[in-house]
Amino acid sequence: MGARFDYAQAEEIRDAFARQRVRYLFIGKSGAILLGFPDTTQDADVFVEKSAANGRATAAALRELGFALTEAEGAEIERGKDFIQLKNGPFDLDLIFAPDGIESFEDAWRRHVDVEGFPVCHLDDIIASKVAANRLRDRESLPRLRAFREYWLRRRS
Amino acid sequence: MKSPGHPRADFSTVTLVEPTLEERREWEAQFEAAARRPLRTRMRYAFISTYKPVLDDTDYRSFDTMAEYRAWCEANLPSWLGYGRKV
Repeated sequence: MGARFDYAQAEEIRDAFARQRVRYLFIGKSGAILLGFPDTTQDADVFVEKSAANGRATAAALRELGFALTEAEGAEIERGKDFIQLKNGPFDLDLIFAPDGIESFEDAWRRHVDVEGFPVCHLDDIIASKVAANRLRDRESLPRLRAFREYWLRRRS
Repeated sequence: MKSPGHPRADFSTVTLVEPTLEERREWEAQFEAAARRPLRTRMRYAFISTYKPVLDDTDYRSFDTMAEYRAWCEANLPSWLGYGRKV
């Protein structure tokens, strides 16, 4: 289990991913938190564009960040398995290459929001992925997330 | 509820508990308070670290499909972690 994720680590992801030109978006509750949602979570989730070049760049950025990836693990990231859970680095990170409820990375990228240089999925995409996943934990957080959406859209208009 | 101009936030496929008026007021106050804090501070309070059985017991895990991941969660994780779809 990695250390508690914090702002400095988010900056490290942002900077390492930018150096390696990784195409990604923060998603899940960590994405909602970046957008201003006051809640708690344990790890960061990133939606990574599925392509061999982007997978290679992602593996390189993760090694730069201190994730101890084996050759086989690096190859899986390069291949873009739908879901990869990393707990072999300075913090826990979930790589999601095909989140439920979102048709394509390109669609999500077109709608994304920039928060202090952090690329974040639009709140509606975050909600869409939680609705589609429909886990108990999603159903518990959705009423508050829906209320936050109303607040967030009001503030943005 | 479907959002205007954006087809994504569709809550019609899930059954959600409706918050009370008091809850909604409390949440709104929390949203306002959070909006006044810098991102760095919000993140300090938002990310926590607690041990999650099974999930935290290995350094690396991968799944070819999200369906495979969801099935693994249902079959292997304690239900109280909330990663399953059923109560």
